[in-house]
Amino acid sequence: MKKLYIILVTGLLVILMSRCHKSELAPEATYDDRLSGGKATVFDESSHALTHSIDGMGARDERVHELGDQTFEAKFVAPPAIVFGGLGSIFNNVSCINCHRNDGGGFPSTGSATSGLLMRISQSGTDPHGGPLAVDGYGTQIQDQAVLGYSAEAGVQINYTESPFTYPDGTSVSLRKPTYTLQNPYIPFSVPYMLSPRLAPPLIGIGLLDDIPESTIQSFVDAGDQNGDGISGKVNMVYDPSSGETKIGRFGLKANTNSLLTQVATAYQQDMGVTSYIQTAESSFGQSQFPWATNTDKPELADSLLNFVTFYVRTLAVPARRMVNDPDVQAGSVIFNQINCAGCHRPTIMTGPDFNLPQLSGQRIHPYTDLLLHDMGEGLADNRPDYLATGTEWKTKALWGLGLLQKTTGVAYYLHDGRARSIEEAILWHDGEAAKSKQAFTSLTQTERNQLIKFLNSL
Amino acid sequence: METGSNTQTYDSLEADVIQDFTNNVVFFRYFTLLTAGSTLQNSVTNLTTTTSDANLAQAKLDWKNMRSDWEQSEGFLLGPVESNDYDPNTDTWPTDYVQMDSLLASSNPLTTDDVKNLPQSLRGYHPLEYMFWGKGGSKTAANITARQKQYMGSLISDIQVNNVQPLYNDWFLGTDNYSQQVLTAGKGSTEFSTRQALFLNIISAMSDICDEVGASKMFEPFVTRDSTITESPYSGNTLIDFKSNILGLQQVYMGLNGGKGIRNLVAAKNLDLDQKIQAQINAAVNSFAQITNRYEEAIFNQRTQVQNTMDQLATLHNLLDGDLTNFIKENIKD
Repeated sequence: MKKLYIILVTGLLVILMSRCHKSELAPEATYDDRLSGGKATVFDESSHALTHSIDGMGARDERVHELGDQTFEAKFVAPPAIVFGGLGSIFNNVSCINCHRNDGGGFPSTGSATSGLLMRISQSGTDPHGGPLAVDGYGTQIQDQAVLGYSAEAGVQINYTESPFTYPDGTSVSLRKPTYTLQNPYIPFSVPYMLSPRLAPPLIGIGLLDDIPESTIQSFVDAGDQNGDGISGKVNMVYDPSSGETKIGRFGLKANTNSLLTQVATAYQQDMGVTSYIQTAESSFGQSQFPWATNTDKPELADSLLNFVTFYVRTLAVPARRMVNDPDVQAGSVIFNQINCAGCHRPTIMTGPDFNLPQLSGQRIHPYTDLLLHDMGEGLADNRPDYLATGTEWKTKALWGLGLLQKTTGVAYYLHDGRARSIEEAILWHDGEAAKSKQAFTSLTQTERNQLIKFLNSL
Repeated sequence: METGSNTQTYDSLEADVIQDFTNNVVFFRYFTLLTAGSTLQNSVTNLTTTTSDANLAQAKLDWKNMRSDWEQSEGFLLGPVESNDYDPNTDTWPTDYVQMDSLLASSNPLTTDDVKNLPQSLRGYHPLEYMFWGKGGSKTAANITARQKQYMGSLISDIQVNNVQPLYNDWFLGTDNYSQQVLTAGKGSTEFSTRQALFLNIISAMSDICDEVGASKMFEPFVTRDSTITESPYSGNTLIDFKSNILGLQQVYMGLNGGKGIRNLVAAKNLDLDQKIQAQINAAVNSFAQITNRYEEAIFNQRTQVQNTMDQLATLHNLLDGDLTNFIKENIKD
């Protein structure tokens, strides 16, 4: 009898303890909220906050990062030149850093050294890979600058129309909507065309986003909105020239690029006119004023330098959060979840294994994105499909580092085209799948809205 | 030494350091830069009116003087100089010979406004340097063409009117200027919510320039043995540029013109650390004297001396990025 008693008590203890243990799984309180990028987080809230390499790299990796940094900042000049030749002949800007200011975002202007906005262009239909169909003589991007003696493809005129938005509580905010007009095209357009503005985004945590397993991203899709929250989301499937395969899109504002290498190589080719082993065609290929331009150009950017820049971007650290113990920030964090901003801007994701960079491997990160495409409504639509992304769909923007954009960029502009001059304006442009959340935001009291914005500024 | 005084609170010491950084270092340097700019503007006017070798020599000297101020100001590369692009507008490298040649060969207008709208690689100090010295530094007054004169005049006035003057104005003119943001750090400044944030930004700027000189500007030509990628190759001013950067950093640390510097904050709590940083800055600055040739030559024939300076800068960078940054985080709590 005594034995049975002992067995019963022991059994009960085991059950109780395992229950206790279960309730302690993944306790949120044991994590440091500030570590937005896990081990790849850096503590700096200055204007240089986005420019740091991840901690703990070996000397060789640090060196490669440094060389990538120098190339990222290098201003390209017209060929032939020994040092950083190969610019253009048509281009949008002369270096990566000119658009990605301090590795942050760009300015929504076109055609100058400080411009960070460019125009994609295409005609109706798709290319053989399902991507946007190029416009004859223009390709898929308007290069609005040219080296001296040549014509840019066209200039881009931006006009804004201001209109007031009034909250139920009577407070009013002015929102501006851009319209874009191409000026002085170097040849007439032979077909109707579609334009899509793209503002240079900040480069925060791209290595970590690259390491999120495809299955994780797929798991966020709620096809047909089964849970009825108004949010469905979908992945883009895109052609990747670096592998020759169709893969999931992760990068670009419409998730139209699969790999970081392709993203960097295409920026060099399309934005600066600099060819590489991935993108061998001059951006001016096929244009009457450049009969010598080929689509199999000798790389103007050395293979090693392209790889270094890719590594540089991949190994940029994520800035730590600030003000996490501020009561308003904490209240804002609760509101963020309550009004379901987190339905798309997912706060926490685990990265997959990364055998080269342990700092990125298996990290618990807070990017505030699901990397999915969502219908954002007519107000933000570019009406230009990009692979599976429709004219109203955009990829969820990661929100980490949001509060540091003002400092790093100089003046912060938000959304895909920089129309929003404040976080508040950016929220008010949300529609489509985000309509319910936007509606809920507008119904908050001014104090609650400020708390939410303060929370976003702490990211 | 007044910093050791027991009568001053640390809080008021912080305020003094911020004020002296603003007035004695930043204001002093940007004002001197502005003056050096108008001197250079005058000498370019003289050169283009009376194109003699003597006037060319004077313009070269004034260019070097202005560079000295500019490079020293890079010891505090934060605020408007970054956010309003005055740095890339005036100090972009490399210069674009191909486009410069086609610009000079063309009949495109070359007013200051035209130069303002040129790519950054055709604006600023280095195209002007190229106009004065030419490739190999062999230029004489007789080689200067009419188009080049026009370009020179517009280059210096673009530097001065569109960059140096606005940079000064952004810091010190009007009521909502950047110096107010600095002076009110942690006391209402929208740019710096705490004093700690301001000091960390100042130190990160010091650390960045130290790293840029040692690990990039000096290292690249050295390791690739390539004299075409040095900073000021036409004038041979490269080494002076480097040293000026470090002098600028030193002024921020030590204070300038009798004012207090970051060192006063450190010395008040950790005399050893202060001594260590001061000694290392001195070692780095003094090491430049051992490189006696132009940098373009030294990378071939004074490699030991160049390596020594890079080592000193690396040690200094680690001190600034590590010990000094940690000191600020631990001791400036607001």
